[in-house]
Amino acid sequence: MAKDMTPPDETLLDIRGLSLEFRTPRGRVKALRDVSFPVRKNRIIGIVGESGSGKSTILWSILGLLSGNAEVTAGEVLFEDRDLLHTSQRDLQAVRGEEISVVFQDPMTSQIPVLTYARQMFDILYRRPELSREEKRRMAVEMLEKVGIPDPAARIDQYPHHFSGGMRQRAGIGMALLTGPKLLLADEPTTALDVTMEAQIIHLLQELQSETGATIVLVSHNLGLIAELCDDVVVMYAGEVVETGDVRSIFHDPQHPYTRALLECDPARIEKQAGKLPVIPGDIPDLVRPQHGCIYAPRCQRVIEGVCVTTPPPNAGTAGGHARCHLLDGPFHDPEWPPPAEVLTVKAGETGRPAGPKKIGEEPLLDVSDLNVRFRTMGALHARLKGVADPFVDGVLDVSLSVRPGETVGLVGESGSGKTTLGRAVLNLLRSHGGAIDFEGEQIRNMPERRFKPLRRDMAMMFQDPVGSLSPRKSVRALVTEPFEIHGISGVDLDAEAERLADLVRLPKPLLGRYPHELSGGQARRVGVARALALNPKLIIADEPTAGLDVSVQGEILNLMADLQAEHGLGYLIITHNLPVVRHIADRLAIMYLGRVVEQGDAEEIFRSPAHPYTRALVEGIPQPDPDRRRTHVSISGEVPSLMNRPVGCDFATRCPCVQPRCREEKPPHFTMNDGRVHACLFPLK
Amino acid sequence: MLIYLTKRLGLSAAVIGLVVLVLFSLLHLIPGDPATIALGPRATPEAIARYAAKMHLDEPVWMQFLIYVGNALTGDLGVDVFSDRPVTQIINERIGFTLALVCTGMGWAVILGIPLGCLAAVKPNSVLDRVTGVLSVGTIAVPSFLVSIWALLIFAVQLRWLPAIGAGEPGDMHDQALHLILPAFAIGLAWVGYLARMVRASMLEVMGETYIRSARAFGLTPRKVVFGYALRVAILPTITLIGMGFGGLISSTVFAEIIFARPGIGKLIFDAVMARNFPIVQGAVLVATALYIIVVLLSDLLIAWFDPRVRETL
Repeated sequence: MAKDMTPPDETLLDIRGLSLEFRTPRGRVKALRDVSFPVRKNRIIGIVGESGSGKSTILWSILGLLSGNAEVTAGEVLFEDRDLLHTSQRDLQAVRGEEISVVFQDPMTSQIPVLTYARQMFDILYRRPELSREEKRRMAVEMLEKVGIPDPAARIDQYPHHFSGGMRQRAGIGMALLTGPKLLLADEPTTALDVTMEAQIIHLLQELQSETGATIVLVSHNLGLIAELCDDVVVMYAGEVVETGDVRSIFHDPQHPYTRALLECDPARIEKQAGKLPVIPGDIPDLVRPQHGCIYAPRCQRVIEGVCVTTPPPNAGTAGGHARCHLLDGPFHDPEWPPPAEVLTVKAGETGRPAGPKKIGEEPLLDVSDLNVRFRTMGALHARLKGVADPFVDGVLDVSLSVRPGETVGLVGESGSGKTTLGRAVLNLLRSHGGAIDFEGEQIRNMPERRFKPLRRDMAMMFQDPVGSLSPRKSVRALVTEPFEIHGISGVDLDAEAERLADLVRLPKPLLGRYPHELSGGQARRVGVARALALNPKLIIADEPTAGLDVSVQGEILNLMADLQAEHGLGYLIITHNLPVVRHIADRLAIMYLGRVVEQGDAEEIFRSPAHPYTRALVEGIPQPDPDRRRTHVSISGEVPSLMNRPVGCDFATRCPCVQPRCREEKPPHFTMNDGRVHACLFPLK
Repeated sequence: MLIYLTKRLGLSAAVIGLVVLVLFSLLHLIPGDPATIALGPRATPEAIARYAAKMHLDEPVWMQFLIYVGNALTGDLGVDVFSDRPVTQIINERIGFTLALVCTGMGWAVILGIPLGCLAAVKPNSVLDRVTGVLSVGTIAVPSFLVSIWALLIFAVQLRWLPAIGAGEPGDMHDQALHLILPAFAIGLAWVGYLARMVRASMLEVMGETYIRSARAFGLTPRKVVFGYALRVAILPTITLIGMGFGGLISSTVFAEIIFARPGIGKLIFDAVMARNFPIVQGAVLVATALYIIVVLLSDLLIAWFDPRVRETL
């Protein structure tokens, strides 16, 4: 490859000893402490870390776009021998967008909704007065074509909301590359996208990088993405660089205990359905008063009392970079560290009884059959005027699904697949238009709220956004006992109940007096679990239970959910797009596409040999945290079609890699295979 | 879009119809016979009968209503009780003065208030922001008639810079403009504060959006980011406010028009109410309402023009 011929010492960007503080009412948060690493030309460097590690702060300090309360206390950011930290705003403005450009995290919010792409791209080219309007437009259209926007000459005059998420991110990449920058910063560029879109965007970035030879700094918490895309890796923890190295040494021979732990916690790495997921106990330290010595010591399994409070020897050299740890160098050097890759260095979950064989009931707790949910697309009058006979779309189409006590069913699909709609319909939060929903033998579909309310005690919901779904004005104590109030249950000692629930979800009791914004993501999740459990429900519907959680914490929540299931025989319906996570907890899976279940059956079986091409694409689409297992091709192209024009034949025919002519004409019914698996494919794989 | 417009126009027509109904019933609900009121207590029974026949007062109430609506649709709003001149003509003479006053008052408020709000939002908690904040609250709190009186006393009576009363010589643009300054200042002052507050609040919100950070990361100039990007989004709620304020000012200019003795719709309504000159009251209120509805509709269309997402949902 071309990039290997570049002399390795050619550094484009050099960050040296960068320290940065944020002034907050609580005190000065020391967000970055002595961060140093070089960015070499024509390479992709990944900065990986969990929330609060300071990885994005580095990005914004490169651009000089830190928030007003930030203060750089030491260090320099050298870009082609210019210190960007000591450059005037006017000169920085000339660098931004021209020499250094950015691809943003969420293409839904990072593009101004009221200007067309043409206008936004003109604006970026404002420093090129020598170009005429027509030339600028041509440049922009060419760029959109390059990033894979179909019919770019017409679509350039559209607004961001006309584009789907994946298309927007493509356009965002196009805007960033329009001026031909030397350095491209990418801030979690695929986090807001679905798995199949993520694969396409990764592929696009790889292609463009090898074509233009741009240098890319990629910031992500997603180890798979880093392994897939990067040449060099910087691992950050709580504002410090704990390890750097080339991608292979980081992923195959991590030196620092934190890097090692982080890799072990990634569910995509664990092949089998483990009883317990590994976790890193503890929370990230308070950066107002960071402790001396190693910042990771309080959570480290290999901490040496009295030693790790001293600064670890710097630059303990490894193959391609360095790691800071007493185990690696100095008087406390342990020749046995790091242990072979199979040995687990982190705890496998919290204390609690190990998950034995699951006890799954016979009679289904929840039985959904042929459920349909339709959405009106236009008013009755409008439809009459336009001559539309059926102004509805099918959000959920003929879905059958059951959950037994003690069983976990994973409902998997990309955004727009109808998985959340199905969940809401089951909870009677939404009117459904056909089929049946049986809960413990009782028909609950569209049951009037008055009669349904007592049943709500038996089915609880865990919401997607843990903090957003909690009232900011209520204390945790009030929040976890709110279900009692809602259902008018008196004669309960609410304080005792709050403490019982806190114990149940292992939430430290002092937190009961706090308010949601004072909780960490994992703690807010626990409050959500406690609320769901308050009335001893039989069924819990969890919408993306680990969304927004760091890998080291998401294991804790999943382990907790598994423990509670084992104890109380709960049935779980877990709605998610995250396949690696659902793999470890689900007994059965239902894969949805465009409102229809395309495959359903035993989770392990589905992962081992998917029957539907869409399932296979999802399974293969999981980015592997292993640089040697990079995907060579993108399994499916294109985008999820709009519900408004559902394909005539098989819903997936427009994107299917093994499509046959018959698929475009005939809607496949549901077939049942020998092992009880159900799929909707005319030509199943194997 | 067409359907939206039809809907909105239909709704506007319904609102105007309701206003007509209220105005009409008001006349019949207040005690006293319209003819006696119009002709005075010493009118002969013959005169009253003649008047009643002429004004269709002898018809059943619903018929009178239909006649009124029919006439209003053809532009006939009845005649002035005292001078017998058509109400339409009287309103026509006055409406221009009110519109000029409202446009000038709102105009200078917009020209000053929006940039002030922007600047305050760009540098929150700066000296400019604090001064704007205090002045905004101050000007909003002071009633406009008080501002009118003070402005009159200071600039017209003490300093003698500007004319005090009237609307200026007909046909003399310069004189009319001079007469416009004080009342426009008086009614616009509170709106400077309002708009500055409103724009500041929505600008602060928009400046925190990620697409503003994107624009800055692409190296756009601060001016472009503030006025070309942030203001374009932040202005939307302000347009609604301006539209409603504009409509409201049409009828609430009454203080300024009385204090500065300007002819105008507000003054006309005031005088007509005092004199129980009902055809004028009805006609003027109807016209003011119609103008209000038109301005609000225009502001909604303006928002649709600015925001493609709104435009497409119409």
